Amino acid sequence: METEITDVQSYKLDFNGKGSTFFGIVVLNWLLTAITLSFYYPWAKAKQLQYLYSSTSLNGDNFSFHGTGKEMFKGYIKALGLFIFIYGLTLLAVYLEEPIIGGIFFYFAIICIIPVAIHGSYRYRFSRTSWRGIRFGYRGDRTELFVNYFKWIFLTIITLGIYGSWMEISLRKYLISNIRIGDIEFKYKGKGGEYFVLNLVGGLLTLVTLGIYSFWYYKKVFAYYVDNMSLYKEGREIKFKSILTAGDIFKVGMINFLIIIFTLGLGYAWAVTRSLNLIFSKIELEGSIDLNSIQQTEADYNDATGEDISDFLNIDLVF
Amino acid sequence: MLTTGTYFDGISSIPRHIELCLEHLPEPVIAFLLTDEVRTKWSIDEIRIEHLGNSLEIRHKTDKLAFIKVTDETFIQELIDYLSKTGKIGWYHKLLHMGMKAYIAIAICILAGIVGGYLVFIPWVAEKAVLIIPEKYDAILADKYLTQYMIDNEIDSAKSLILNKFASQLKLENSKPLHFTVLKSTVANAYALPNGNIIVYTGLLDLMTDYNELACLIGHEVIHVNNRHSMKMLCRNLSGYIFISVMLSDVNGIMAIIADNAHNLQSLSYSRKFEQEADEQGTKLMINNNINPLGMTLLFSRLKSQNKAAVPAFISTHPMTNNRIDDINNLIKNTKHKSLYNSQLKELFSQLKANN
Repeated sequence: METEITDVQSYKLDFNGKGSTFFGIVVLNWLLTAITLSFYYPWAKAKQLQYLYSSTSLNGDNFSFHGTGKEMFKGYIKALGLFIFIYGLTLLAVYLEEPIIGGIFFYFAIICIIPVAIHGSYRYRFSRTSWRGIRFGYRGDRTELFVNYFKWIFLTIITLGIYGSWMEISLRKYLISNIRIGDIEFKYKGKGGEYFVLNLVGGLLTLVTLGIYSFWYYKKVFAYYVDNMSLYKEGREIKFKSILTAGDIFKVGMINFLIIIFTLGLGYAWAVTRSLNLIFSKIELEGSIDLNSIQQTEADYNDATGEDISDFLNIDLVF
Repeated sequence: MLTTGTYFDGISSIPRHIELCLEHLPEPVIAFLLTDEVRTKWSIDEIRIEHLGNSLEIRHKTDKLAFIKVTDETFIQELIDYLSKTGKIGWYHKLLHMGMKAYIAIAICILAGIVGGYLVFIPWVAEKAVLIIPEKYDAILADKYLTQYMIDNEIDSAKSLILNKFASQLKLENSKPLHFTVLKSTVANAYALPNGNIIVYTGLLDLMTDYNELACLIGHEVIHVNNRHSMKMLCRNLSGYIFISVMLSDVNGIMAIIADNAHNLQSLSYSRKFEQEADEQGTKLMINNNINPLGMTLLFSRLKSQNKAAVPAFISTHPMTNNRIDDINNLIKNTKHKSLYNSQLKELFSQLKANN
């Protein structure tokens, strides 16, 4: 691996969103979603993502989200149709007094959908993201992910969950290494074994300390996600590093919790902006890729069905 | 007004410094000069702006990736003013700049609307919905419960037979066929299932000394069946939950927990309303049968004086608050009643109490 240590660049990630501005967006979203009995939701989501992305900057230039409510609404309808179909078939099985077959079909269908949803969601989200006019992209192959996902789930089931750590890292690695920013590639070098130990020790210590250790546990997991990520372009690299401490997590987390409780949920906007502010200020970048030299390479992709399926299933973006 | 900005061409990430200005004649455009190139003009009709903090991004509607970034406050204000005047700023943008006071007012109104809807509108809708649901569905509800719960308890078939005979002596104005079952247990409990099946535990029978108490108990339970309380409860719970989920479709974790708990509290209080209905109408039903309504009061006070640990089930879902006892006493005082001695009921009652 060739890494030139000459001409080291400086990079700075920032989140500049304000709780008060975001609150305006959130309130408008609540109002319009309530009036339209949820139909406004895709547009609400688009507005929120647009604001949050454009409030995040790298070296002073903002990220941008181009996704539209209209695109996500189409995906929403398709995802809705798909779920009605699956539920319908399951209920049919129950009606025909074959609930076991119905149950197996249901879980099988959900396992089939998840990799499809993740793929679609990643493709949509990243093609709709840009920085300095350069589009992001996701180059993963849906069939490849689908087959791998089944393999991982199978192994996780027969090892009664132990393989889960390896599965998560394999999934993360596959997804992340297929992300592009123009001609910059992402890399992730985590290992399932290391992650397993991290979770085992973390889980046990948290149990033994009645939850107090959890802040250090989260810090370690966050670091494991961030520190193993890197960007790569023509022999040059940018490495990520987390400087988040357990104390940070406790402080911000605790105050967010109190904000939400005491405002009966209205303070949600501030909790989000505070959390994002914390996360971005605790990620450091170091390397030698010249950010002026990125070339546009990624294609347009406007099918948001995967994105909406992921929403239905509450799958959080693994990033 | 002439100003400087940064242009990104959407082909590479190189920032290019440009000079740009807003021209009004011959047509309103943003005109800018890319170094060494011809002046480019973007018609005002074809641009989209994004105003974030202290920078403005100007994009072209068709070429979505190339954009101009401007940080000059004066120019930004000039452009926004011009767009407002010519009606190019959308309603959303206007709403978004209403100010914090407006947002808080809207948020509070929404919250009030949701709470109001949940407390007032939804229960009303749920009760109306029950009218649409055919009564035979109540039976399906009951079957689920039966298979779950009855496995744990032993049926006393002899006493069940007697109890059914007892009940058939009364005019119960029942909307569906009733069937009584006695379960052997030290717990003092009784409840009605939506399909007309009424369960009475021997623990409760042991507490009674007079047949009027049993009659009043039956009256109370029958009202639950006649008024379809279980189905109403279910509809009300479900509708409340669905309402909250729909209204707050991006309910985050903590709000979901708050909503859930508030919901449970509401459910409990609603079931107390049904109990009151059963007390009142059950007593009236017994008065119509010339049963002594004081049987109800007697039963209540017996249960109240029982050790709570020994009779947890009946007390928890049917809280023996003084209010309930007072309400019943008031009702009895204010209603004309005449109780007649019924020897058959007395006989059947002693058979029920026998061999304990």
